[in-house]
This record gives sequence, C-alpha cells and structure tokens, in this order.
Amino acid sequence: MPPGSKPTVVITGANRGIGLEFARRFGADRWRVHAAVRDPDSAEDLKALDGDVVVHPVDVTSDLQVREFADSLAGAPVDLLINNAGIIGPRGLTLDDMDFGAWVEVLRVNALSPVRMLGALLPNLEAGGRKMVVNITSRMGSIGDAGGGSYVYRSSKAALNAAMKNIALDLADRGLTVVMIHPGWVSTDMGGASAPVTPEDSVTGMLSLIDSLGPSDTGRFFDYQGETIPW
Amino acid sequence: MPTLLVTGANRGLGLELARTYAAAGWTIHATARDPARAAELRAVAGAVEVHRLDIADPAQVQDLAAALDGTAIDLLVNNAGVNMLERTSLADLDYEGWERDFAVNTVAPLRLSAALAGNVAASGGKTIAFMSSRAGSITSNIAGGRYRYRSTKAALNAAIRSLALDLLPRGVICVAVHPGWARTDMGGPEAAISPAESAGWLKALFDRLEPHHAGHFLNYDGGELPW
Repeated sequence: MPPGSKPTVVITGANRGIGLEFARRFGADRWRVHAAVRDPDSAEDLKALDGDVVVHPVDVTSDLQVREFADSLAGAPVDLLINNAGIIGPRGLTLDDMDFGAWVEVLRVNALSPVRMLGALLPNLEAGGRKMVVNITSRMGSIGDAGGGSYVYRSSKAALNAAMKNIALDLADRGLTVVMIHPGWVSTDMGGASAPVTPEDSVTGMLSLIDSLGPSDTGRFFDYQGETIPW
Repeated sequence: MPTLLVTGANRGLGLELARTYAAAGWTIHATARDPARAAELRAVAGAVEVHRLDIADPAQVQDLAAALDGTAIDLLVNNAGVNMLERTSLADLDYEGWERDFAVNTVAPLRLSAALAGNVAASGGKTIAFMSSRAGSITSNIAGGRYRYRSTKAALNAAIRSLALDLLPRGVICVAVHPGWARTDMGGPEAAISPAESAGWLKALFDRLEPHHAGHFLNYDGGELPW
C-alpha cells in the first residue's frame, strides 16, 4: 500500500446488526469505511460511530443506485467489500404457509445484489491492495447440512454461494479472494435475542478469519470460527 | 396403471419421458405452455392427456391442480426449465432476466409440487422428481460461467432438499436429478446422449427409487452427485 493511503472497506447493510459492528471495528481501526445503507436518515447508530465512516444512500437491489455509488468513489481503491445486506424473507417456514410471491424478492436481495455490488466495484477492488470480497451467507444455505422448511431463505443463500463460487473461479486470475462466511446465529434483529452469538463475537471471529485468508482461499465457505462448511 | 405428470412435455426430455412412460402403459398428464403447437406430444400413442400450463403462472398452476383434484399421481416430473446455454459473464449479466430464470427454474417447480403434493401422497408411487443439473453442483464447479443457470439450479437443489425432508413423513420421495447432457433444443447438437437415452435411464432410475434416496442429488445412472 502506498505510504499515507488508508485501507478502505465497503460494507452494505451497515445501519444495524453485523454490518454496524463491522463498521464500528473498521472505523476504530482507522480504515476508511464506506457504509452503504437504504436509509441514512434513520441510521443513527452508524452515523454516531467514531472514525472515517462515510454513509451512502444505496438500495442494493437498484442497478442505478449501485452504479451511482460506485461512480461516487471515483476510482478510489477498495481493499475489502463486505456484502452483508440481506433479508430473512417471509417467516412462513413450512410448505403449507409458503409465500411463493415473495421468493424472487428474497433472491433479489440475498443472491443477485451481492453480485451486482461486486461487479460495480470490481475496478476499485482490482486497484486495492487486499482484493477481498466477503459475502455474509448462512449455514442454512448449506444444502448438505440442511434441515427442512425455510425454503426461501435457504435457497437464497445457496444461490448466493453458487454465484460467488462461480465468481471466485472467473476472477481467480485477477488475484481476488472471494469467500462466503456464515456469521453464526447472531443476536441481531434478524437472528433474535435468544441467538447464541453476539455481534461482537461474530465479527471478532470473522475479522480474525479475514486476516488469515488469501487468494488460495478463494471460493471457500467458512463459518465465523474458520471451520469449512459443506456446500 | 400408474400415472405420470410431466411438465414441459412439448419437446426435449419432457416429450421423451411422455413417450417412454406411455409406451410402458402409464397414464400420462403432459403439460405445455401452448398445447396447440405441441404436435409431437399430441401424436404420442397411449393414454396421454395434454394440459396447458405455464409453470410460472400461479393461476394456471391452480387451474391444473383443480382439474386434477382427486387424481393420484404416482410420479411428478418437474421438467420444464430454461436457459441452460447462457453465455453471460459477470460484466454483462442481465439481472431482470436472472430473476425470471429463478421464477421458472426455482420457484415454479416448488409451487407446482406444493399444489400437487396431496395427489402424489395419495398414490402408490409417491415420487416427485426435479430436473436439476450437474451445473448446479457447487462442489463440482470448476469451470465458472453460466451464472444464471448454475445459481437457479443450486437454489432449486436447496429447496428440493427441504421439500424432501418435509414430505418424507407422508411417504413421498423427492429427488433432484441430473438427466445427462442430451441432444435437445436446450442441450444442443453436440450433447453427449440422445433424449431417448436420457429418458430411458431416468425411467430405470425412478422405477427403483427407495425412501433412502429422498433428498438426494442423483445422476441419471443413479450415482450420487455432490451439492
């Protein structure tokens, strides 16, 4: 890295939960943090963080907004992209109460949008030193590990895994490291208060894992403690 | 005689499955988006009824389920699907098209299977098969490319695994299958096997499925494929 330049991270869905914790840690660690959130006005906790944290209005499902966000970086190097934004979708867990109409929307947010963001930021990532993309996925997307129900969420994370493994292969010759990380079952708004892992512990684990990864790890699926998860 | 329902039966593997099972004396319910143009399907000899069905249209799925109310379906083959031969790269991905692919390849087969699960559970054969693809195996992916097809089939696999677990208590066996690379309009003329060969392998596989196969990803010859 050229002397005097700061490492830079882009984090989606940074207004709360795991994304907010990532922003807090990178901000405290003197990175430049570009936080992409749907509604900056309501992202009070994010805006209150210490450090060089820039908040951008971005709906990750919008081609236009993602392109505008990428353009606003004006070619600046991005060392790390954390595709964290995601939704749980309709809570119907069984076949009888499935909301088929909502399924494509969940795929749009959880699978397509991380790909869109990576594609838009590819020049910035290639200009960066670390060249890393972390996709926050879920163990529920592990087909080999699967339970029943939760069709929509499981399939959306399996689709994310498939797409990102694919991208890892296609971009291997550019030295990018693209990985999938299951953050644990975390006590955020999405995970619920009874989830066993705190955002702090989840992100501590993930940061340690991220530090240890390089291009030879591209395309792999880990949990926040560094264990490999089967597809 | 047992009853087969197969979607996308106007051509390709769907048509071949209709022929193969009709020749074996099964009662066939074959669906196509446009039955008037499905001449080869309508020409299949045997007990074949052709139904209009665009699998991505919820109203048509409901109409079909209503028409088949009370009909036991021994084998439901979710065959209709799109876009195997895409040539997209990361730079030229059409995201709206990708969403349409998910609607057809991932959501629609599950919607149809949910609507007809009772018909299958009421049968002797109790089998729901889904045409997946080896391209949807994340483990086996070493080539890259084909973003849309790979991801829609991987998502389908995830849903099939959940469905299999949810329906096994009712005795229904759900499987994801790779039918082989066949010389259909989708597979192209360079493909490895003929549609008739694929259909023959698939029937032999479906004939010997047991409960322990439920929720597995099977090659047309019965071999296990990794997720």
